Amino acid sequence: MSTMGNSTNIFWQESPIGKLERQKLLNQKGCVVWITGLSGSGKSTLACSLSRELYTRGKLSYILDGDNLRHGLNKDLGFKADDRTENIRRVGEVAKLFADTGLICIASLISPYRKDRDACRAMLPDANFIEARLLEDGLHEHVRQEIQKAFTSLHVLERLKIFSPYLDLISLHSRSYIQPGFTGIDDPYEPPLNCEIEIQQKDGDCPTPGAMAGEVVSYLEEKGWDVYQQASGSNM
Amino acid sequence: MATNGKATNILWHKSSVGKLHRQELLQQKGCVIWITGLSGSGKSTLACALCQALYSRGKLTYILDGDNVRHGLNRDLSFKAEDRAENIRRIGEVAKLFADAGIICIASVISPYRRDRDACRALLPEGDFIEVFMDVPLQICESRDPKGLYKLARAGKIKGFTGIDDPYEPPLNCELVLPQKGINYASPCEMAETVISFLEEKGFLQA
Repeated sequence: MSTMGNSTNIFWQESPIGKLERQKLLNQKGCVVWITGLSGSGKSTLACSLSRELYTRGKLSYILDGDNLRHGLNKDLGFKADDRTENIRRVGEVAKLFADTGLICIASLISPYRKDRDACRAMLPDANFIEARLLEDGLHEHVRQEIQKAFTSLHVLERLKIFSPYLDLISLHSRSYIQPGFTGIDDPYEPPLNCEIEIQQKDGDCPTPGAMAGEVVSYLEEKGWDVYQQASGSNM
Repeated sequence: MATNGKATNILWHKSSVGKLHRQELLQQKGCVIWITGLSGSGKSTLACALCQALYSRGKLTYILDGDNVRHGLNRDLSFKAEDRAENIRRIGEVAKLFADAGIICIASVISPYRRDRDACRALLPEGDFIEVFMDVPLQICESRDPKGLYKLARAGKIKGFTGIDDPYEPPLNCELVLPQKGINYASPCEMAETVISFLEEKGFLQA
């Protein structure tokens, strides 16, 4: 009998068909490709082209898009820190189930906090977690930093409580457009310290979605995720 | 989009790989088989038999067992009423994703309240939610008591145990009721074959 937080009356049900059998059926190894990066860095685009590249090689993948999940499984969650953590946790757990099914699960979400991403990594044994970071291109970064400065100025003015009808007007105007706690403006993005793949979009020389997906596929092929091999010490 | 299911006729949308593409790859259609019933009615046993039988036909399935999910995704939930509803809601949402991925997803959960099961049904396109009711009388479930839970419940050590001091609301209109009428002791394999015939008939076992 297993014990867990809420009850000692929950058991673990074993099935005769496990991950090995499913991987054999699919001729691939289940894993999670976790795409992290700021808003607008191209995560969804990469996820789609990666899915397409894998499909042309006969591999089954599934995309867990952060935005989409917030309409379904995670529709009860907001953007406060606790909710973000819970959002990532749930996505991690679902990704783990997909990987166990034998699929290449592509999770595409900002996932700004290192601690939360690392917790997901820890959920997946046998190095089945592949973190891919999308870096901003220079122009995107510049624009974001300008907006961030403006937002900081707004905070400063408000804190100084300078009475001015203009300030009230600006404050009202800006606040209606800027979601509080917006990652990269008003809330931190903590880049991975040690991820498997880093994809840089260079100014004026943006790699195509296909090329970026190709980088990820090469990594997967190199590590043997694309082919199921009969066990004899093979790392699954 | 293709009308005859052949790969060559599926339009390639540059945006993404869709449900039809996955169906073509797997040669099956994703769906949710929702097995409901009292503890000890044989849900997990049927789920395993079904999984095995479908695997031997080259079909990809995955079991979402209520107990197992409470070890992972739903480990933050208790057995209070609102948490039970949330447990079912989350399983329903995950099952929906699995079905979309092309997997034949077998959910094996007591899921005692009609409203919660119906809410899961509503998440999926019509016909993709297949509710299977394990219609086994309480006395038989209790006599099996595979996990010793009925004994604990009768001794008052578990409160709100379905069937003892919490209701089970049987489905009013589900796709399959097992074991079938007139067959007192259908084996898990026989019951699995009943489900498979249903899936075959409805076209889930082909692209």
